[in-house]
Amino acid sequence: MLKRLTRWSRIKSPWILHLNSGACNACDIEIVAALTPRFDVERFGVLLKATPRHADVIIATGPVTRQIKDRIIRIYEQTPDPKFVIAVGACAMSGCVYRGAYNIMGGLDQVIPVNVYVPGCPARPDAILDGVVKLLGKL
Amino acid sequence: MKFTIPIGPQHPALKEPISLRMTVEGEVIRDADIRLGYNHRGLEKLAEERTWIQNIYLMERICGICSHSHTTCYVQGVEKLMEIEPPKRGLYIRTLVAELERVHSHLLWLGVAGHEAGFDSFFMYTWRDREVVMDILEMISGNRVHYAMNTIGGVRRDLDDLQIKKILDGLEVLKKRTEYYFKIGANEPTFVARLSGVGYLSKERAMDLCAVGPTARASGVTRDVRKDDPYAAYDETPFDVCTADTCDVLGRTVVRIKELFESYKISEFLLKSLPAGGIAVKAPKRAKPNEVLSRYEAPRGENTHYIKSNGTDKPERLKVRAPTLANYPATVEMLKNGFIADIPLIFAAIDPCICCAERAVELVNARTGEEKALLFSELRKLADERFKNPSLKRNAVWPF
Amino acid sequence: MTDIELMEKLKSFLGDKIVEMSNPGLRRVFMKVDPGNLAAVAVSLKKDLGIWYIAAISGVDVEDSFEILYHFGHDNGSLSVRTRIPKADPHIESISPIVPGAIFYERELQDMFGIIVDHIPDPRPLVVPDDWPAGNYPLRKDWKYERPPEIIPGGKQ
Repeated sequence: MLKRLTRWSRIKSPWILHLNSGACNACDIEIVAALTPRFDVERFGVLLKATPRHADVIIATGPVTRQIKDRIIRIYEQTPDPKFVIAVGACAMSGCVYRGAYNIMGGLDQVIPVNVYVPGCPARPDAILDGVVKLLGKL
Repeated sequence: MKFTIPIGPQHPALKEPISLRMTVEGEVIRDADIRLGYNHRGLEKLAEERTWIQNIYLMERICGICSHSHTTCYVQGVEKLMEIEPPKRGLYIRTLVAELERVHSHLLWLGVAGHEAGFDSFFMYTWRDREVVMDILEMISGNRVHYAMNTIGGVRRDLDDLQIKKILDGLEVLKKRTEYYFKIGANEPTFVARLSGVGYLSKERAMDLCAVGPTARASGVTRDVRKDDPYAAYDETPFDVCTADTCDVLGRTVVRIKELFESYKISEFLLKSLPAGGIAVKAPKRAKPNEVLSRYEAPRGENTHYIKSNGTDKPERLKVRAPTLANYPATVEMLKNGFIADIPLIFAAIDPCICCAERAVELVNARTGEEKALLFSELRKLADERFKNPSLKRNAVWPF
Repeated sequence: MTDIELMEKLKSFLGDKIVEMSNPGLRRVFMKVDPGNLAAVAVSLKKDLGIWYIAAISGVDVEDSFEILYHFGHDNGSLSVRTRIPKADPHIESISPIVPGAIFYERELQDMFGIIVDHIPDPRPLVVPDDWPAGNYPLRKDWKYERPPEIIPGGKQ
């Protein structure tokens, strides 16, 4: 009974942390545009938080550069369980146009485990909403 | 006693991850240090292994907000290397997309400035109106961001009469809304008081540190590449360079709103006098060995590309200097002798390219030496309270 | 001032320091000087001609030397000053005391090419990561990079 209650409350209010690991910022603007009145992801209970200690879901963009790799691992460990990771954009999936550069690890799943991939360059706000809803449906 | 506070890489006022280390004495910042490198993707080395056309798509993804500026700057340079001249209609369409991109970028910045100053409704209003411009751009090019309109020798898509009519209607709507924002900005006393006097940069220091874009124009430096070194269709378009004299964040807001009105005027002029003809000419595969310097006025400042070719179909050297890099020394100057509570506002005022998110700041208590991670929202609450009941008098003398 | 006027003024103020000068296109002037005269040229540009704005500093790797270009901008175009230094002994004088805004571009030259800028006020690396092994200069033509193999989670092994 208590388990059903916690599961219901986790699905109804996922708090997100927005992480930019060296991206060109297009996917990041689309993530913020998903919060504005036209697409409005807040009707799903989503709230944008500052610190990893309050977040349930990490939304990450960008190919991982060498400088930020350790910081991402630290942020992932600071987020309390249960946690999920959404990789937005082609850069977070495999590195997009930057594959082969000397400073790029190539995709977010080389560093932290990912649950949902949202393709696009940049991913439209509708697609990001779709990704969040699909994640909530699987919980 | 001086203490060092690290801010970033997850960052106070949007943007690419960047690390700032502030040396503070009480609440006043004495020195700031910027550590770049989180966003270094090795583009210049990648560009040497791709052909001229493949490089257009690489250049687009340097920045998401000003993607058209990087492609246009690059394509202009390559056209000079290959000695081809795009037709007039192509140049007009290129300039039109450039001005629409300037509109979208300045509306984005207004929302960010409102959010950093605590005025969240302003943020939601401007971003809702930004959707009008995004719909227009999607109608012209097929994508909201990264519109791949440029190709070597011209543009890829044409405009027909129905699209022109829709664009003109959209611009009318935007003009009314921007006048409303101008009224708010000028008449809302708390908004004005929050922005004025913050981030002071005098005219001599702006010239010494080579600041670009609205950051420099708000200190009275009239430098605009569209007037000094006209490219595309700007030598046939009448417009004014917008400057302000207050040298602080309020001046930068005023400059950007004035530039919005100029952009609407320029776009209407271009649409009404669009010449007939083709939109692109065919470009050769190779370029003769030569070098070229290409300059462009992006929404954030001057964008400079230096391209060198060696007779093959790949460039020998491609150097990109983005406008925000040129504004960093000016930012360090602006942060000195400011307050911690003003950091996000000062940083957002140079328009660093990306959107908001809250970040945690670690403060070291001066007396007991204990560390505490403060939420950015708590930091902003502290800032708002301080400005409501200031312990200093309004006309107090600065302590230095 | 137009290109012709600018070239006349440069000849009259700098005289024999100019090795060659050209005007390849509208509003673009290119000038070559020796590396030893660079500081004097920068001072003269700022004081006599009123050119205070530097847009970028770019380095190019030509077979056995580096060619460094300083791109200045003025009210009606741009002026690019180039010098050449040998690869075996890559030293160049800093112009940051004269034009403070050039400090970031010089730090980037140090990182990317291994050029040593003398008397630079702040010699820390700018763009390379903290754990970058020293002696690797990415933009030199002879620096190659081998990508480590990628692990695809849940994919082919």
